[in-house]
Amino acid sequence: MINDFIHPAVFYLLGGLLIPLLRGKVKQGYMLLLVVAAFLAVVIMPQGTYGVYEFLNWKLTFGNVDKLSKVFAYIFTIMGVIGVIYSLHVQNDGEHLAAFYYVGGSLGVTFAGDFLTLFLFWEIMAFSSVFLVWYRKIPASVASGFRYLLWHVAGGLILLAGIILYYSISGDLTIRHLPFHGWWPGDIEGMALFLILLGFIFNAAVPPFGAWLPDAYPAATVTGAVFMSAYTTKTAVYALIRVCAGSEILIILGVVMAIYGVVYAVLENDARRLLAYHIISQVGYMVAGVGLGTQMAINGVTAHAFCHILYKSLLFMGISSVLYVTGTAKLTELGGLYKTMPRTMIYTIIGGLSISAFPLFSGFVSKSMTVTAFGEEHLMWAFIALMLASAGTFLHTGLKVPYFIWFGKDRGIKAQEPPRNMEIAMIIGSIFCIGLGIFYQPLYALLPYPVHFAPYTAYHTWETLQILLFTQLGFFLLLKKLWCENTISLDTDWFPRKGAKGLMWFSNKPLANTETNFIGEVYEFIIQKPIMKVAQLMQTIDTVIVDGTVHNLGRFTIAWSRMILLFQSGQIHHYAMFMTAGVVALIVMIVRLF
Amino acid sequence: MKLVNMIETLRTKTVKKIAYGILVLLVMVDFIIPRHEVHFFGDKIPGFWSLFGFSALCSDYNCIQMVRQEWPYEG
Repeated sequence: MINDFIHPAVFYLLGGLLIPLLRGKVKQGYMLLLVVAAFLAVVIMPQGTYGVYEFLNWKLTFGNVDKLSKVFAYIFTIMGVIGVIYSLHVQNDGEHLAAFYYVGGSLGVTFAGDFLTLFLFWEIMAFSSVFLVWYRKIPASVASGFRYLLWHVAGGLILLAGIILYYSISGDLTIRHLPFHGWWPGDIEGMALFLILLGFIFNAAVPPFGAWLPDAYPAATVTGAVFMSAYTTKTAVYALIRVCAGSEILIILGVVMAIYGVVYAVLENDARRLLAYHIISQVGYMVAGVGLGTQMAINGVTAHAFCHILYKSLLFMGISSVLYVTGTAKLTELGGLYKTMPRTMIYTIIGGLSISAFPLFSGFVSKSMTVTAFGEEHLMWAFIALMLASAGTFLHTGLKVPYFIWFGKDRGIKAQEPPRNMEIAMIIGSIFCIGLGIFYQPLYALLPYPVHFAPYTAYHTWETLQILLFTQLGFFLLLKKLWCENTISLDTDWFPRKGAKGLMWFSNKPLANTETNFIGEVYEFIIQKPIMKVAQLMQTIDTVIVDGTVHNLGRFTIAWSRMILLFQSGQIHHYAMFMTAGVVALIVMIVRLF
Repeated sequence: MKLVNMIETLRTKTVKKIAYGILVLLVMVDFIIPRHEVHFFGDKIPGFWSLFGFSALCSDYNCIQMVRQEWPYEG
């Protein structure tokens, strides 16, 4: 049944190429057709291995379909539909193409059966998504885009180094379960696995390699950020599940990440940057779950990635709509929008309640499975830390963002609800967030392992309600301390940003001074002046000897030619006379000689 | 603008009082709720998670004050 397998990335990567040739409603219809077709391709796709090609000495596999790849493909293609509906009004074809290549790259990674194919699509993702940042066309986005690219090129090269090292040891490129155990590589094979893991966690935005995320996402275009919130980190989580499940180091990194994202979001002023920090926090749950590696944890991580894409994109759509309508996403410049954008507020709050794992919303059925997996394994410190991060998530995303944008201080901003297509996308996202929170069984059925977990037990629901509602009480009591300032908080961005400043100072001051005052002088006396002397000498030789010889040779040739000219009169009897005289002279010479 | 009126109704003091009532009820019910999934000692203490949720904010806020490095917007 090989005909049933159509790689969904084909619709994005090849189908997308025609987008710039179309206009108006035809273009919009065509884009929708592509993304729906890609989703249907995943629905009808049977499990198995497809699309195997020989390239040089390697076997490249483009279609490795199993339960895990399929569930991720489902959510990636669903998100493709939502994202494209949200961005239908965008006129810039480049932005559409970048988004299509980005999603196509992500689907390519999902179905890759070997490391080389994975790496190819991995890089397509990085290089297409950076355009979603650059197309914002403001100075901050240009700078952010370059920093984003630097991080991803570094991560990609580390991954490639790991892949090459692994191939040199095993002679095999097939993607398989290769967990890294311990804290530091002890041998060459350990180094290969460590580098592969490191390459993946760059894209998963694990601190200290995650600074690109809160830097680039708020700088992206209105619709670009919605796409970006869904794919890069979740594709990395997928790769981690497939290759690195059970690597203990990921538990620590994931838990640190979950707390780190929440802490940095506390005083964040740009709402999209705040949401970006919460991606780090939420992906922290997933990374930690992958590190735990039990069946329940992997199920929880997969379900959480699925729900996370939906609610995080909904949140980004809500805030990006505010940015689209008002021109800012800074909390210090917004307030009182509930009068003009009440529906957008409701969609955003639905996203906020979902990410906070409020009962009856999607996050509850996925996050609780991941956290319970830690409880079941008696890793209590991780369990408590993840619960703490959960409270923090509600505090910022569920309370702070809606409060400061839609209530807070009324700034009298003139606004209205966003265009219809943006609203339809948000309605679809909201339906998914509530629908999955109530009817979670279809999602559980898609998960890679059999699910033995019931989210809605009395105690668990009560425990969650207590945490969330008392966090809310704390929020309103400490509201005055949570007012934002018009700055950003640096995390590991500190190193590239401060480092760049330091580099500029070093170049302008000590380096430039040394260059002018010392190296310049040394250069002049030791190199420049002797070279000039030698050059003068060479010039003299050239003028006097070489040129003189050539000139004199020329003069001699001209004189000789003039003399010859005397004999060449063109008269035949002159030539006969010269020849006769010559023959006579020759005979006289011969006679004289003998 | 029915939606706006509805939102404004939710901002009255009566709703605030009801919300406080719900919080009290949450803690009270925690004394009698069946506990099948005890993962650690906190699960046995009634109202533990209420206190946990309330104090989460303070710990977050103090953490960021310690590590915060400010930086201006680029434009």
